Amino acid sequence: MTAPTTALEPGARPLFDPGRTRGRGSVDLVRSFRTAAALGWKMEANWTDPLLFFIYSVAKPISAALILVAMLEVITGASGREFRGFVVVGSALWSFVISGIAGLAWSVLDDRERYRMLKYVYVSPSDFVVVLLGRGTARIAVGAMGAAITLAVGVLLLGVAFDPLAVDWRLLVVTMALGLHAIVVIGLLLAAVCLQTRQESWSYPEAVAGALFLVSGAVFPLAVLPAPIQVIGLLNPLSWWLEGCRRALFPDGASSVGGTGSVYAELSGRLAPDAPTIVLALLVTGALVTLGGAVVFRWSERRAKDRGLIDQTTGS
Amino acid sequence: MTTRAFVGRPTAGPREAADWSRGQVLSNDLRSVVGRAFPRVRGMAREPSWLLFEILLPFLTTSSFVFVYQALHAPPEYIGFVVLGGAMTAFWLNVVWMMAAQLYWEKDQGNLELYFAAPMDVMSVLFGMAIGGLIMSATRAAVVLVVASVVYRVQFSVEQWGLLLLVFFLTLAALYGLGMVLASLFLMWGREAWHLTQLLAEPVYFVSGLNFPVAALGRIGALALATIPLATGLDAMRQLAFSGSVGPVFLSPEVEALILIAMTVLFVLLARFMLRTLEERARREGRLTVRWR
Repeated sequence: MTAPTTALEPGARPLFDPGRTRGRGSVDLVRSFRTAAALGWKMEANWTDPLLFFIYSVAKPISAALILVAMLEVITGASGREFRGFVVVGSALWSFVISGIAGLAWSVLDDRERYRMLKYVYVSPSDFVVVLLGRGTARIAVGAMGAAITLAVGVLLLGVAFDPLAVDWRLLVVTMALGLHAIVVIGLLLAAVCLQTRQESWSYPEAVAGALFLVSGAVFPLAVLPAPIQVIGLLNPLSWWLEGCRRALFPDGASSVGGTGSVYAELSGRLAPDAPTIVLALLVTGALVTLGGAVVFRWSERRAKDRGLIDQTTGS
Repeated sequence: MTTRAFVGRPTAGPREAADWSRGQVLSNDLRSVVGRAFPRVRGMAREPSWLLFEILLPFLTTSSFVFVYQALHAPPEYIGFVVLGGAMTAFWLNVVWMMAAQLYWEKDQGNLELYFAAPMDVMSVLFGMAIGGLIMSATRAAVVLVVASVVYRVQFSVEQWGLLLLVFFLTLAALYGLGMVLASLFLMWGREAWHLTQLLAEPVYFVSGLNFPVAALGRIGALALATIPLATGLDAMRQLAFSGSVGPVFLSPEVEALILIAMTVLFVLLARFMLRTLEERARREGRLTVRWR
């Protein structure tokens, strides 16, 4: 019988390597993100066959667009067709907001209330925020699918005039990147809220997205709102994201931020913002939201640890 | 010789202890209703965040659709349709999230086997959930209706108050009956149920004509009137609350009230049958405790 190897013998592998606790920085972050995103996608997609999953993914955004198209049709009939592009694009892009916000918030609720894994995830060496972002990415992918199909339905079946050659791809890519960043930060804010609340919080992302719908110019121009609410809309990065995407996809379309009698027109002296203004406004408002989101999330995390909320399950 | 070992009253043995009178069964089921409703009502007071997320934010969502109509310069009664629809979505969301998905949720939490093992009718658990949820939904609906009516100056024109109230309560009865049916189905469907709750929001709002007369949808609207209590109730209430200014209609409110009565009876009987069947099947297949699938 040979003697057991110990850490003291020359050339032997140590039983505990303190170097492993230091991690490998960005490599570990990327690996955590990839693993969380893959897990999130499996959780989102493996519950059914691909056809049903596809129907499920697109039914919600398409129905949301159809509600608005029906409202438009009932009131304006054929004369309101030009406004269709406005509402279809707004409601299609809104599926990014709903899925982006819900993805992060539901990750907390799923892992804490349903699978009861949050405490294990939290104490694992992975960065908690990176894990949440990874899980949320899967849902954003589902939202992207819904948005693309809704736009396609709008163009092919609802008569939305669209010219692919007129698209400002550079503006589209920049605004999408900045807008998605803002959506994820808002999702992180709501995840912070869900760390504090209980099981019934499942409907909170929808409620928050619904409230933001009012001040984002998603389906009607901000100019319709009272002036103080328009100001809130101008401070909201989602308004600038939607405006940027609209401007990129439909360069001649109506502005959701500006317009006759709007606060934007009064402040800037122009009826609609140009591309550099949109990107700058999106950067500034996005930075403000990011700062606020980071502060709130860290506060919520500390409070949850302090009060033992991370492994608390609730029910009513 | 009698003993109190089996139940609170003196009995000769376990068989006699289990032999309950009709009054005891009823009293037990009523206590189950109260017991299941209690955490929902009590929970409202314990965590006031629902006031923001369940009342204020949904009010803002309703406001969005009001502004869509304002942007289109729609006739004022259409703003009333949005307000009425916004109020009624509170009940629909409650049925979907806190009734239909609830038994599946209870299974995941490990409570379901306790419900089935307890000496009570599972219908009383569902009824308790409905009552508890109704209080929260009714608060939300009332706030949306009152505040939005004041803020957006909605002019109601009601000629038949009695019928309007009757239709409202029949709509609730049919909705919660449907919730009980869905709860049984969702229990059987497992994880798919969770995702299906998503499908039961916007698509149902669209075919139910939440913000516009359902007759505008043609055959789809007619089908919705015959199958979805939200569509039937909303259409009837819209006709009664804004008499003379609704536009195209398929059926009169009286006929729609009869449809709601039929729906209520059908859904409650169906829920009872399905719960019994699923309970038996779940016991036989041992799936009451199988979670996360």
